Formats: sequence, C-alpha cells, structure tokens
Amino acid sequence: MIKHLRTVSALLLAAALSFAASALAQKPFADVGKQPPITVLISSSPWYPAFEKVVGTYEQQTGNKIKLDVVPFGGLLEKARNSVRSGQSPYDLMMLDTQWTIEFYEGGFVSPLNEIDTSFELPKEVLRYGDSGYWNAQKRWRTADGGKLMAYTVLGNVQLLYYRGDLLKQAGIAPPKTWDDVAAACTKLTDPPKAYGFVVRGERGNSIRYDWMSVMAAEGATVVKDPANGDYTVTINSPAAKSALDRFIDVLKRCGPPNYGSLGQGDVNQLLATGKAAMGQLVTAAWASFEDPNKSAVVGKMETAPLPSARSGNGAIIGNWNAVVPKNASDAQKKAALAFARWFVTYDAQRAFAEAGGIPNRSDVYSSDLAKQPRFRWMPAYLESMKFARQELGYAEGAQVEQILGLRLNQALIGEMSSGKALNTAAREIEELFRKNGRKTGALPPLPE
Amino acid sequence: MDLLNRHFRHWSLIPAVALFVLLTLYPVANLFRMSVSTIAFSEGREVWTFTPLANLALLRADEVIAPAVLNTVIFVVVAVALEILLGLALAILVAGVARGKGLVRTVMILPILVPPVAIGSMWKLLYNYDFGIFNQALTALGLPPVNWLGSTSLALWSVIAVDVWHWVPFVFLILFAAVEALPVEVLEAARVDGATRWQLVRRVMLPLLKPAIVVALVFRTILAFKVFDEVYLLTSGGPGTSTELVTLHLYKVFFEQNQLGYGALLSLALIAAIVAFLLVGARAMCAARA
Repeated sequence: MIKHLRTVSALLLAAALSFAASALAQKPFADVGKQPPITVLISSSPWYPAFEKVVGTYEQQTGNKIKLDVVPFGGLLEKARNSVRSGQSPYDLMMLDTQWTIEFYEGGFVSPLNEIDTSFELPKEVLRYGDSGYWNAQKRWRTADGGKLMAYTVLGNVQLLYYRGDLLKQAGIAPPKTWDDVAAACTKLTDPPKAYGFVVRGERGNSIRYDWMSVMAAEGATVVKDPANGDYTVTINSPAAKSALDRFIDVLKRCGPPNYGSLGQGDVNQLLATGKAAMGQLVTAAWASFEDPNKSAVVGKMETAPLPSARSGNGAIIGNWNAVVPKNASDAQKKAALAFARWFVTYDAQRAFAEAGGIPNRSDVYSSDLAKQPRFRWMPAYLESMKFARQELGYAEGAQVEQILGLRLNQALIGEMSSGKALNTAAREIEELFRKNGRKTGALPPLPE
Repeated sequence: MDLLNRHFRHWSLIPAVALFVLLTLYPVANLFRMSVSTIAFSEGREVWTFTPLANLALLRADEVIAPAVLNTVIFVVVAVALEILLGLALAILVAGVARGKGLVRTVMILPILVPPVAIGSMWKLLYNYDFGIFNQALTALGLPPVNWLGSTSLALWSVIAVDVWHWVPFVFLILFAAVEALPVEVLEAARVDGATRWQLVRRVMLPLLKPAIVVALVFRTILAFKVFDEVYLLTSGGPGTSTELVTLHLYKVFFEQNQLGYGALLSLALIAAIVAFLLVGARAMCAARA
C-alpha cells in the first residue's frame, strides 16, 4: 500500500513539475498590452533568422503583429533615408548600423525614446555599446552624459578571433593572445593554397576599415584626438597607426589567400566554414553559421577568443545594430514600437534570442547557465571583449571618413602605396573634410613615406 | 473657332509637352539646382544653401575621380569594341548557317535576360579564387590559380569580360537582323565577280552594315557608360581604384557619403558626357548614311 502511495505521489509530483515547467515556458515575457501592428525595416544579415524567430514569439505571446521588411545591407540605408524624409514613415521601427545613426540623430529624423514615453528606460543589465543609443545634440556626440536616449541595441556585434581548436591543439599552439602570437601561429599553420593560417577582410571600404581598426585600437592609435570634447585633430598618421597597418598587412600577406585585397565577409566566412582557414577575425553574429551542419564543415571545431592585444592592450570595434523610431511615424505606432522594445530587452526575450542564434544585449544572459552550454561557448569571449571594445567614427563625417580610410588602407594592402603614404594621404583628406565642416582640427607631422 | 481649329495640332501637343516637362526637364532642373547647393538635414528637414563653388571645389579635390574617369573610358572603349567585333562576327557566321538559326538566336538571347544582379553574383562565384570553377579548371590542368578579381592589373579586365559576355548577344541580335536584311542580289553579284569570303565581308557586307553597326555602337556605349550593378557586385571598385567607375563613385558620393550637392554635380557631368557622345554618334550615323 505504502509502495503504491509512493508511486502515486511521485507521479503526481512529476505531473505538477511538468505542468509548472510548461506554464513557465508559456508565460508572457513582459506584458505590453494590445498594440496596433507595426512595420520594421531590417537587414538580411546573418542574425536575421534569430530576430525573426523572436518576433514570432512576441506575436504569439502578445497577439500583436509585426511586419518585417527585410532588405539587403546595401539597400537598407536608402530605404531608411527615404522613409524619414517622406511625409509619413512607412516604418515604425528601423534597424540601423551603428555608423549610420549619427546622420539620423543629428538630422532630427528619429524620436528620442523618452519623448514617446517618459517612463521608458533600459534595464541596467542592457550593455551600453559605447553609448551608441544616446545623442548629445550640444556636444554633437553619442554619450549618455547629457544625451537623449535615441535607440537601443538590437544586436551588439563585435569581432572575435575564431580559431580551429583541433588544428591548434594538433600543432601544439596555444590560442593566440597577442598579434605577435597570431603572426607566429598562422605562419606555422599556413600551407597555401590548401590551408590559410589567418583570414581577415581586406576588401576596400567598410570591410578593411572596420577590421583594421581593431589592430589600430590594440596599438593605441586613434583616428581623431578627442572628438568627444570637440578636438578633431587628425591622428591617423601616428607611428602607432603605421605599426598597426604594417602588422595587418604582414599577417594577411604572410598567412592569407593571394586575393587578400578583395576578401569580403562572405569570403572570410566561407574559408573558415569550409575548413580552409585555421584562424580568422569575424563578427560574433557569424558564429551560428559555423555550428550549422548544413553550412559548415567545422561544426564543434571552432573556438573563439577576444581579439589579440598589442602595445596598448586588446582592441575591438563595436558594430552594433540600433533600433530607432522614425519621427514621422504616428504617435500610436511609436508607442507600439516602444512596446516591442520593452518586451525585447527583458531577460526572457534576450535568452530566447540567444537560443535562436542571436547575440543578446543583456549581461545577465551571459552570466546565466546558457554560457556554460557548448553551443554558446563564444559567450565568455564576447563578454570579455565588451570590456575593451569601443565605438569609432561617431561623428557626422563618419561615412566620409570611412570612404577615405577604406580606400587608402586597401591601397596600402595591395601595394599601391606605402603604409606611411596611405596614412598621410588619409590624414590630409580627413583634416580637409573636418576643416570644411568648421571643426577644430589639425594634423600630426607626416610619416616617412 | 477658326483659330482654334487652325492651331489644334499645336494645342494637342500640350499634354505631351507637360508630361515631358514634368518627367524630364523638372528633374534635370532640380539636379542642376542641387549641383550648386549644399544640402544638409536639420530638425527632420532639408536645409539648402546656395554654394555654387563648393561642389566644384570638392570635384577639384576629389582624388578618386581621375582614376574613375580613366577606368570608365577604358571600360567603355574596350568592352564596346569587343562586343561589336564579336557580335558582328557571330551575326555573319550564324547568317551563313543553313539550319538552326532560330535556335542559335534563342540561345544567344539568354544572357540578356539574366538580371545584372544575378550576373554579378554568378560571376563572382565563377571568379572565386579558392572555390571558383575557373581556378578549379586551371588547377586540374596543373596551372596555378589566377587572382581574377583581387589583382589590380587583372580586375578591370575580368569585369570587362563579364560585360562582354552579357552584351554580345544584344549586338548580335541587332546585327544579325541587319545581315539577314542585306540585298541578296548584291552579295550574289560579288560572288559571281569572284570575291573571296573575306572580300565579301570587308568590301560588301561591312559598308552595307554601317548604319546598323552605328546603332549598336551608340546603344552599347550609352549603356556601358551607365554600368553599375555588375561592377558593384564583383569588386565595388577595388582593389584600390582599379575598377572604380564614374557611376560607382557617383553612387558612393550620393548614397554612402550622403553628399547630395556634389553627387548632383557628378550626375550632370555624366549626363553631359553621354550627350556629347550621342552628338558624336549622331554625326557618325549621318556620315554612315551618306
């Protein structure tokens, strides 16, 4: 009898636990009430499937509808511009790459989130991403100090060092911690055209500008002296910047494929996913593709570490996507867009985002049990990187500075110019740009060419 | 009433003229206004400042425009010349075939039907250094792989090859129709007089085909000046400035750098270059007809 009672009790307990777990799984993450449907402009980036999945969860839980307008990266900025410059925006929420946000903040095209709802605030666990969501109009700078909250980070990309744990172990090489380690390790591992020791984007434009800047930061160089305080003296042709460029060129020439001058994100991803490259520098959002057996030949073999250090410590540049609410959306739509924001930044939603393959924006997700699962073994490296990662080009001229650097760095890489000449040329052009725009600017003495 | 009737043909043109003004002249006039202005955005609105010399100063200081113009000229001259030569050769060859002309014509039209975006993506894969079919074929033959899009000395030629592949069929179709329409009696007379195949082509067909060749040349040159999608997808103007074309530079100035005034000035310059070419082309066409 007692035996039967025990069995029945155990069954009842199991049923109760299972019911509780299921109720927990189905509970709404945050109650945001009934809202009108909203339309979101978003890029078809590698993290889009994860976002789409989370939007599905939001719709299921709240009954609110979200229409996603997915466009290629190249066309998104134009759609966003046309949308905010028209009478009424067809979008209620737009995902903007960090370097585009200044134009929208400064042009007065987006609504500060507290103007939509004065009580809105981001939870303290949400990472700051170099204050890219704030805008101080007086200082013309992205800072929470005196700035208004204009956006929140949907995806906080930062580059990591990807390496093949199995190959490094086999060769008796420890995961590189410094750029010198990278150079030494990749020299051992490279065996072209069968295998490349290290791959990074060298393609002209945003690719080389963004990737090189991590080395630049590690060497302690900057583009501009102190833009946060209005000093736009151009410092890109410093000896530290030259050292960073020489290092970048050396590693790519020594260990990369012969087409290093035209390597784009797709190429780097492909070389790593097919197992042709032993190490590489790539955004965190690419992780999911290496763990997908349909896309990767290296499932379970890829590891990550923070980008290596040089003279000034580690360096990484944040490349986050910011969600903004257009000023010319209707009030009801703006409120609905903000309701989604409230839901999206909760722990549960961010955890669900991570499980779907996204990069959560909350620190508590990184310190949760999730980070201990092998699937999420990139999380410690990411969290570590966020300690030193910084924003760059956070001023109105950012897009033009990127064009200048994107060309001159590429010319140095392919040998059209010496590294000194490339940086001197870029410095001259950037200084001219700032001068034309009335900034307080200047330049360093030219480097030997 | 009489007056109305007498001038009806003039009045009847008003809708067409209004449409022309609205759709063509107004945008060009606006472009001109933009080209002498600096356009900024503040408080969610456009702020236009009349700065007639500022954009010219930008043009003078622009170090990318010179290689872009040079590359565009090389691209237009080489691509169009190759397309005309190959299109003409194909047209004459296919016209001489007794059976299957329809099939050849259908097959030839395929590259024109493929959207430029798809062409760019497809050729980027073909040219891929590590995984592309060209390099795999070369490696299989024991030859070293070629850096098709990553070499400064080869990238522009690789891009030109794609354009030639894309547009030869267009030239072929125009010239094939012209070859088919050549007077048979003239060709027969030349043959009876003992003309060789080469002499027939050189002395008889080519002079008769001149108007059609000029038409193909004009159309292709205008389109070659405007090429964008393929180059954007294949190289984005790199490595360095080796494949930078005026249209690509214009796109970057307008859309990436958001310099609307300077972008408008470059647009006007491009329009002027095409119009100048059209005038030269029209003169050549008149000369050919004469």
